[in-house]
Amino acid sequence: MLTLTINDVDLEVDVPDDMPLLWVLRDVLGMTGTKYGCGIAQCGVCTVHMNGNAVRSCVLPVSEAAGNKITTIEAIGKTALGKRVQQAWLEHEVVQCGYCQSGQIMAAVALLEKVPDVDDADIDLGMAGNMCRCCTYTRIRGAIKSVAKA
Amino acid sequence: MNTQRYSSLLSRSRLFGLVGGMLSLWAAAVLPAQAQDAEQSQIERGEYLARAGDCVACHITEGGKPFAGGLAFELPFGTLYSPNITPDKETGIGDWSDDDFVNAMQKGVGKDGKHYYPAFPYTSYTLMPREDILAIKAYLFSLEPVHQPNRDNDIGFPFNQRWGMMFWNWMFNDNERFKPDPEQSAEWNRGAYLVEGLGHCGECHTPRNLFQARDSSKALAGAEIQGWKAWNITSDDEHGIGAWPDEALASYLSAGHAEGYGVAGGPMAEVVNHSLRFLTPEDINAMVVYLKSVEPQSEGIKRPPLKQLEASVPQQTDHPLGRKLFADTCVSCHSWDGNGRQTPYAALKGLRTVHDPEALNLIQILLDGDALHTANGNYVMPSFGEAYSNEELAELSNFVLEHFGEVEGQLDAKTVEERRQAP
Repeated sequence: MLTLTINDVDLEVDVPDDMPLLWVLRDVLGMTGTKYGCGIAQCGVCTVHMNGNAVRSCVLPVSEAAGNKITTIEAIGKTALGKRVQQAWLEHEVVQCGYCQSGQIMAAVALLEKVPDVDDADIDLGMAGNMCRCCTYTRIRGAIKSVAKA
Repeated sequence: MNTQRYSSLLSRSRLFGLVGGMLSLWAAAVLPAQAQDAEQSQIERGEYLARAGDCVACHITEGGKPFAGGLAFELPFGTLYSPNITPDKETGIGDWSDDDFVNAMQKGVGKDGKHYYPAFPYTSYTLMPREDILAIKAYLFSLEPVHQPNRDNDIGFPFNQRWGMMFWNWMFNDNERFKPDPEQSAEWNRGAYLVEGLGHCGECHTPRNLFQARDSSKALAGAEIQGWKAWNITSDDEHGIGAWPDEALASYLSAGHAEGYGVAGGPMAEVVNHSLRFLTPEDINAMVVYLKSVEPQSEGIKRPPLKQLEASVPQQTDHPLGRKLFADTCVSCHSWDGNGRQTPYAALKGLRTVHDPEALNLIQILLDGDALHTANGNYVMPSFGEAYSNEELAELSNFVLEHFGEVEGQLDAKTVEERRQAP
């Protein structure tokens, strides 16, 4: 049995140590807001936070997550910054198909926490690992910058 | 021993009538069971020793059956193929006697009198005592025979004259068993046997001389093999593993990873996957004790200083294309600060791989990816050889060397192309 702290709640899960956190979130705990994309940390759609840092849950063994503070898209709106990012996403109508957007929002919040006054270069490099096949990149950039300015 | 006891008991049973009859009944019921147990424990010991000797690493092809051989060894003088060592009578070693097998392991001479080439590490295995070798044979003979004919070697004159190996053996194979050093602890001696004999570490980590024999004056000082650097693993503090804490070295050997010191990649990842991860903690510890005592050699790439890096994009770089690619593809696991994002297995700080101006192992791993199987789970590095051009991979490597190491990488597209083409 492992104890995970997800969105400030302690949860006991009976899973193999090397199961990726994403599997635990989606298949064991039923938290399907975090998506599966490539499975090899190359697309960013499975991004969650571990102690405030953006991590790829598809390659994060659950045993490495135990004992750390995990935040997922389901609870990111409970933080002030997360709330502002979600609001900016709505105002800029960022989402098209939406599949990558949980990951985009998680990555954006982690970036803004580290660099509150982001410029274009910070966004290019900070968000580089998050793919969007609908090419909503310009709207993502606009939304992040509006939060940075506010 | 058991057979002797068994037969003497049987002859007595004939002399002593009823009592003897009972004895023989007892013998029939108990002794064969004991003999079976002894055989079973010999097989189990053989399996462990075969793992410690990493036999399967060479006697298998990708997707092939274990111990059926067929793996190609591209050497400067031609290509060798490992033979089938399953107990198949026709294509394997099924009709080999104990002496045949012992000769192969200690002298490098096969059943048919053919001399082996030292790609087969008999110059290390020769340290093994007969009983260990026969345990391995018992294990191999307990496996399912695989009918797979051996592939002919592709070697030109004069190297195809196997008898020439007689002179080589006379010069370079001591044909001596391991003799424990009474001055040293039992642990040290066990470690020495595992490192120098069964584990045959020196076959990759010791440079070779003009005659392709290990240069004993530079034992374990590091060498290049199959396009990879097998690092200096002597006790030198800067160039070797002398400064590694014992626990770090033990973790590297048993789990392929020691944060801030090393991650097993390429051929070494295979050694961990097939061999080292199955060794007992006592044996791993013995290897640590021995390696820490190996005469220091100041050769090869030093371990880079542990840089204090920010977990954000570096503002200054001479390799902006490399930085961009790292941001696109690498940072999601390796992180800008070199700590590894999801797992410490992805940490790049402190590795010799990111401090080698030739970037030999770095480019190999970028081209082909890697997979490490450990008790802590499976760790995979995807391959990027198909995704990126030579120029991109060169610039990415230059950035990694600049950012995580402290060397000026001079890699260009031509070098990466050469590495791609290398066998």
